[in-house]
Amino acid sequence: MPLRLSGVTVRFGARTALADVHLEARPGEFVALAGPNGSGKTTLLRAVLGFLAPDQGAVELFGRPVSSLTVLERARSVAWVPQGESPRDDVRLFDYVLYGRYPYHGPLDAETADDRAIASRVLEEVGLADRAEDGILSLSGGERQRAILGRALAQTSPLLLLDEPTSHLDIGHQLDLLDRVRRLTEGGKATVVAALHDLNLAARFADRIVVLSRGRRVADGPPSAVISEELLAEVWGVVADLRRDPRSGSPYLLPHHLVSAHPSPPGARIGRGPVHVVGGGGSGGPYLRALSEAGYRLTAGALNLLDSDLETAESLGALTAVEVPFAPLGAEVRQRLRTLLDAAAAIVVAPFPVGPSNLPNLEEVRGYLARTPVLFVRRPPGEEWDFVGGRARALEEELRRGGAREVDGVPEMLATVADLLPRTSA
Amino acid sequence: MTTRWLEVRRTGPRGTRRRWLAAVALLVGSVGLVAGSTLLGTVAIPPQLVFQILLHQVSNGGLYPAPCAGVTVSQPLCGAYVVIIWQLYVPEILLALIVGAALGISGGALQGIFRNPLADPFLLGISSGGTIGAAVIYVYRFQEANADLFLPLFAFIGSVGTGLLILGIARGRFSSVETLLLTGVALANLLSAILSLILLYNPAGSDQVTFWLLGGLGLATWQVDGIACGAVLILATALALHGRELNLIQLGHDVAQSAGVDARRVRVRVILLASLTTAVAVAFTGIIGFVGLVSPHIVRRVWGTDYRVVLPGAAAVGAVFLLAARDVNYLLFPGSLLPLGIFTAFAGVPFFLYLLYRQRTASTMGAP
Repeated sequence: MPLRLSGVTVRFGARTALADVHLEARPGEFVALAGPNGSGKTTLLRAVLGFLAPDQGAVELFGRPVSSLTVLERARSVAWVPQGESPRDDVRLFDYVLYGRYPYHGPLDAETADDRAIASRVLEEVGLADRAEDGILSLSGGERQRAILGRALAQTSPLLLLDEPTSHLDIGHQLDLLDRVRRLTEGGKATVVAALHDLNLAARFADRIVVLSRGRRVADGPPSAVISEELLAEVWGVVADLRRDPRSGSPYLLPHHLVSAHPSPPGARIGRGPVHVVGGGGSGGPYLRALSEAGYRLTAGALNLLDSDLETAESLGALTAVEVPFAPLGAEVRQRLRTLLDAAAAIVVAPFPVGPSNLPNLEEVRGYLARTPVLFVRRPPGEEWDFVGGRARALEEELRRGGAREVDGVPEMLATVADLLPRTSA
Repeated sequence: MTTRWLEVRRTGPRGTRRRWLAAVALLVGSVGLVAGSTLLGTVAIPPQLVFQILLHQVSNGGLYPAPCAGVTVSQPLCGAYVVIIWQLYVPEILLALIVGAALGISGGALQGIFRNPLADPFLLGISSGGTIGAAVIYVYRFQEANADLFLPLFAFIGSVGTGLLILGIARGRFSSVETLLLTGVALANLLSAILSLILLYNPAGSDQVTFWLLGGLGLATWQVDGIACGAVLILATALALHGRELNLIQLGHDVAQSAGVDARRVRVRVILLASLTTAVAVAFTGIIGFVGLVSPHIVRRVWGTDYRVVLPGAAAVGAVFLLAARDVNYLLFPGSLLPLGIFTAFAGVPFFLYLLYRQRTASTMGAP
């Protein structure tokens, strides 16, 4: 086992940086350490490197306690790509990579042909073979990070630790670097433990994600088992939507806002509703988003394909009833709409322009006046919205008389829905 | 602490050839300088006679059996010249080379270990400690009869004592080099205060102490040279073996540690060795400033930043630099050996500023 931490606790004065952390990395595995700033990722790596001695617990490298290894032995078994190493001297890149061969030489030895071969191979691996003669300060930020990786690789240690290797890189260089690191683990050649604060990158490249929160291990498993909206809310305090990368199949999170920025009322989290929104032409967007943010499940429709409201509704995870563009609602779609309306706890009618193709939406809603609360949004005065010769206005008047509530704008809509749907109905 | 102007850009095959040329130039130049230096001193001696005497002495009479035969000066005067050259000039030249090398390499090592371009051999209060030791001799007329022996001894004890004291104080919190640096600065100030107090109550020795504070080659004898040479050779060799460690330490003490350098131990070892090396220099020549600061910079500028080169290079450049300072002294003030610290500053500062200016323009063009 390249790396095993058992019950590691590290304290800095009164602060506990790591609390009873257990962790194993198997040969050839890419383990991502995730967690917000200050969660203990760097502390954990430093404990593995022997820079600090745990107050409790043990760190083992390849079955031997780290504390029993000499500095040289440690360097031969674990290499480190630190966060923000910035070389100051303009050392030739090839020489810089050769620095990694330090643990294999006495004070009077010169570099051997072997060392040079390893340095060349490593430069090839990090894609900098053509820059070997250049000074390290002439490299770009992305190249320099790869050079640092190269220096660590020249150590030919079977375990590689990386501390936020991508934090200063643009998205292209992030993918490139992690892809190279990923390839190192193929065939069980090397074991990688990388602190990555970007969960999506971790999910994409790592075999396993270990999540730290305030020094504790709160999750450990393959990305698909670890990554969840709840985890992001609990550990990072961020509300996000969970998606799946259609190409790689790995989960990814679409961060949205801080939990504390829009505190939901207690018990309001996920699952109230569903609220059905009738809209079209972009009119429903603000209402869909506001309801989703407040924690309601959503349904929407019927909408035509290509309608921006449809896109919004789907991105928020709403169930929808969909018709082809510009066509009047067909029987099947109307049936689907009814199913959605049957399930709705409330119906919101957005101020959408009404034409022949979407008039049936209003007709269907009328049929639910008796059993489901209906809200309709007041139209701005003077704006033409009835393109069916007054039939839409007539229908709206019918809704009003049938008990539908007229609301003015998003805030009033939200307040009314909140009144209508008791919090216990989750 | 970030110092863009320290960054040196010398890469590629062209740079390599330049480095070799510069090394050959330094070697040839220093041989010429040493030869030329024998012509300069407190007494003006005809150049031809100087070389005759040297050839005679070096070959022990084999190459030039009788230097005083057939010269225009009288026999007794020629005999005096032989003594002046062989017992005064040559030991002075050798001491300049030895002390210059000691200051150069210890400056280079300390700049490396502290990762600070402003570090110099006197950084850790070594100068103040040595001065106190010397002041004790001068002021209290202690063992006046054997001043030649006791002055270096006391100065050495003062220097090393201070160095060890600082290492000892800082050992508890040795994880930070800044702590060590600040401890040195604080202690140096305290020692200066003590020195001022001593001189205030004993004005008799203050002239000599002032002279000491600017350094000089006045103590040079073959015996002094022998002791200094032996000590510096051993210490400098030990220091020069730390080039690879210092290279890695430039990337940060943690990075070095992760790559197999026992950074903590190397730090103590290098500081100790550099302190001892400096103490040897201080013991025999007092405080000669600027050599230890500027020599490593010259080496980095010309030969690159590899500490395997910087350390021996700084020793070589330091040796040549200090000898040159001695020669400038005799050229400007024929016949009198003034404090050398004056001339290292006079010769060094303009050159150093020139380097800085050139380096800044070079690195702002290339550095990201």
